[in-house]
Amino acid sequence: MLGSVERDLAHRALDTARSRGASYADVRFVRRAVEDAVVKNGHLDSVDRSEIFGFSVRAIADGAWGFAASPILTAAEADRVAALAVEVARASAITKREDARLAPVKPATATYTTPIEIDPWKMRFEDRVKLLIDADAAMKHAQPSLRTTRASYEIWREEKLFVSSEGADIAQTLYETGASIAAESVGDGEQQIRTYPGSGGRSQNTAGWEYALKWDFVQNAPRIADEAVALLTAKQCPQDIRTSIILSSNQLMLQCHESCGHPIELDRALGTEAAFAGTSFLTPDRLGSFRYGSEHVNIAIDSTRKGGLGTFGYDDEGVPASEGWAVKDGIFVGYLMSRETAAALGTVSNGTVRADGWSRLPMIRMTNVSVMPGSAGSLEDLIADTDDGIYMDTNRSWSIDDKRLNFQFGTQIGWEIKNGKRGAMLRNPTYTGITPEFWGSCDAVCSESEWTMWGTPNCGKGQPGQVGHTGHGAAPARFRNVQVGVVK
Amino acid sequence: MTVLFGERELRAICDKALKASEGDSAEAVVVTRNAALTRFANAAIHQNVVSREAELRLRVVRGTRVATVTTDRLDDEGIRRAAKDASDLARSTPENPTFGGLPSDRGLRPAPSAYVERTAQATPLDRARAAKQLCDAARAASLTAAGYVSTSVQELAIASSLGVWAYAPATTSDAELAAIGDAGSAFAQRIALDFGALDVAGCAREAVEKAKAAQKPRDLAPGAHEVVLEPYAVRDIVSFLGGQLTGNSVEEGRSFVIGKLGTKVTGDITIVDDPFDPNGLPRAFDLEGQPSERVTLIEHGIARAVVYDSGTAYRTKQRNTGHALPANPFQPAAPMHLRLEPGDRTREQLIRDTKKGVLVTRFWYTRWVHQLRTIVTGMTRDGTFAIVDGEIAYPVKNFRFTQSYHDALGGTLGIGSELALLVPGEQFGLQVSSYRVPALRLASFNFTGATQY
Repeated sequence: MLGSVERDLAHRALDTARSRGASYADVRFVRRAVEDAVVKNGHLDSVDRSEIFGFSVRAIADGAWGFAASPILTAAEADRVAALAVEVARASAITKREDARLAPVKPATATYTTPIEIDPWKMRFEDRVKLLIDADAAMKHAQPSLRTTRASYEIWREEKLFVSSEGADIAQTLYETGASIAAESVGDGEQQIRTYPGSGGRSQNTAGWEYALKWDFVQNAPRIADEAVALLTAKQCPQDIRTSIILSSNQLMLQCHESCGHPIELDRALGTEAAFAGTSFLTPDRLGSFRYGSEHVNIAIDSTRKGGLGTFGYDDEGVPASEGWAVKDGIFVGYLMSRETAAALGTVSNGTVRADGWSRLPMIRMTNVSVMPGSAGSLEDLIADTDDGIYMDTNRSWSIDDKRLNFQFGTQIGWEIKNGKRGAMLRNPTYTGITPEFWGSCDAVCSESEWTMWGTPNCGKGQPGQVGHTGHGAAPARFRNVQVGVVK
Repeated sequence: MTVLFGERELRAICDKALKASEGDSAEAVVVTRNAALTRFANAAIHQNVVSREAELRLRVVRGTRVATVTTDRLDDEGIRRAAKDASDLARSTPENPTFGGLPSDRGLRPAPSAYVERTAQATPLDRARAAKQLCDAARAASLTAAGYVSTSVQELAIASSLGVWAYAPATTSDAELAAIGDAGSAFAQRIALDFGALDVAGCAREAVEKAKAAQKPRDLAPGAHEVVLEPYAVRDIVSFLGGQLTGNSVEEGRSFVIGKLGTKVTGDITIVDDPFDPNGLPRAFDLEGQPSERVTLIEHGIARAVVYDSGTAYRTKQRNTGHALPANPFQPAAPMHLRLEPGDRTREQLIRDTKKGVLVTRFWYTRWVHQLRTIVTGMTRDGTFAIVDGEIAYPVKNFRFTQSYHDALGGTLGIGSELALLVPGEQFGLQVSSYRVPALRLASFNFTGATQY
């Protein structure tokens, strides 16, 4: 955990910022260690270990914001960066229309560490890599014709210190672990992929190595390999039909991320992401009354839940982790907020601001935005309850407009559902819709036993670009009368 | 204050790292960045950042065991620790018989400089004034403004124990404006290596004039429409296809040119990767310090070549064309200086040539649906218009499209005569790619849905 050396530099930077005229300032030190390893086609293709360490100063001067950052950890550099942040803020003020305001927060002095069972950084490297080699071999053994097999992991440790001119002093150490396998097949003008446990990148949690072990990759590798090959000759998903669909847990989590997680970001709703990420159809006048989905749809904002990638003690503005609702019984009831956007709404922040490392500006990011379980039982119960439709599993393609209304998703694999039974495998499944109509068509969500906390370690936002790590719990759910099949 | 480390200092950092490494061979890559971005929305600056970053990426090789360690501790102790960590890790890794070794020095051809001191000296106030110019232009037209003005200075240095040495500084400046009305918006962007030559006024004029015309869009039925694509949209097509024109994509069975080199894959367009284009973001070498070749990828619609890094070239027994990205197992190579060669029609002529069609300013949230068939889905955004009888008739609500990009180019009807320089955001921690692309007129584009604005 970062300590007195960084704390002394932080206080020096705060003093400099104040003396230059800042009415508010905060300093963040971040030391991030990451190790990525990929086994490809039976061989360790890459192992890449990085450690980056630096600090940033965020300041309000003349009523406007400035930010500066550096990896040089000296007193002189703390002075330079703090003075630069104030200079930048003063430059910002030439377009100011009103002073920046922050919702109040009680300054905390606290520490927080992710609870983990197996510290991956204390394991032998060879033991981590063995997991990948064994999983990769199991895929290739099951289906030697696979064109490409990959198995990968990422381990992550981030130490952060937040000190503010209001008196906050918060040190945190966050751990993450993610892992996945992928099987790619090629043939007859087709190229198909299956991944496990989640889609494209990795599923990741705030956890230790126990998270990599829980997925039993060697046991699941043959199934993933078999499905990748079977997809080459599977039936094409029907085109241009409307039908019932059941989305797997890991597909529903991305549906939630894109069509709920982003539009409930209050910075988007207030227009401050308009040029890039876009705005939101969930405008403040709709808060508390807009029907986002059916009564089966309950979406939580919860940065306290164990394992989520959005789980921490405090956000990067020193606001404590919290629980709340984005959508309750189908009604839109809550935003992800920063101190500044909360002030604009006349409320207080729910602590959802994070930055990608030391060199980036903290901004609103999803914490854990989760579709909460319903009462539809297991996935097999839900399929048995469906006369006619398609079950779609694991994301392959995702796109949504800049207000988060019109979306189109593709999954890696699907199956026909006929008379309550899973039927033929389908390749290239896609579905499309308009967000509130789609969630309004949800008539069943599986029960707690099917609920999984997924993690997306690759959420892009901001200029300059930042990669966010967000958590999403979900269980399989059914949607009626959905447009399916848009690949020509 | 100078913002460059300079060639001598980066050489010293690389030499220390290589000397401290214990292995058969080693490669040191140093990237330094001084990035400043002044962002505005609701016609006021709300995010304004300056950062200084420098990282050493050290790859150590023992036989066919390879390990990479990255650090931003560039003092002697930090470099020594990174070298020890990489060397120890390389001892622990299993052999990788598909690894062909680090590439040796092959000499470099000089490329035009991509560095302009005036950009490096831009101040927070300079950027804020440019941002204010964009905001004021929008407000004068009763529009609001969102976008940014940025300046970037980066250095890339690559050295290896096999004699490789490559160094290049580069600068870019960028102005982007979305001019937004109550019922419609428009987008414009300008990029220049020289901040003093950045056409902020032109950016404002383009976005504001188009935004005024974009208000109150009407419904237009989705379906296959003839289109005129502005360069912002064309860049997306060239980017997706360029990513498939690599040895790795062919090796993994994902590329639309597999088995089709020497045959027609698009209409009459030519795409080259030209690292020496003086009007682009030139750089003579790739991320392994290898000489980057000018490669004609598609020539008058015929697939001619794909690009290689050292590893893929070794595995597939091809010649390394010098297009390596930082070593990684997913996308080891890419064409990084793509140019779609200009035609003979002005943008206005392309519109005039269109009896009935759609003018698209830019695409948004484009994603693969099916790589092998180059099917992509995405949205139009910030200025979509109906063209009727050769004129922009009225704004239309945004479309979703699901379209094979190379099939769309199969219907190329006209190519713009002016090329726009476009530089995407950072990849692998630096501005690694640039594009020069014209407007295009295409016979058919498959709009598969619409939205409500």
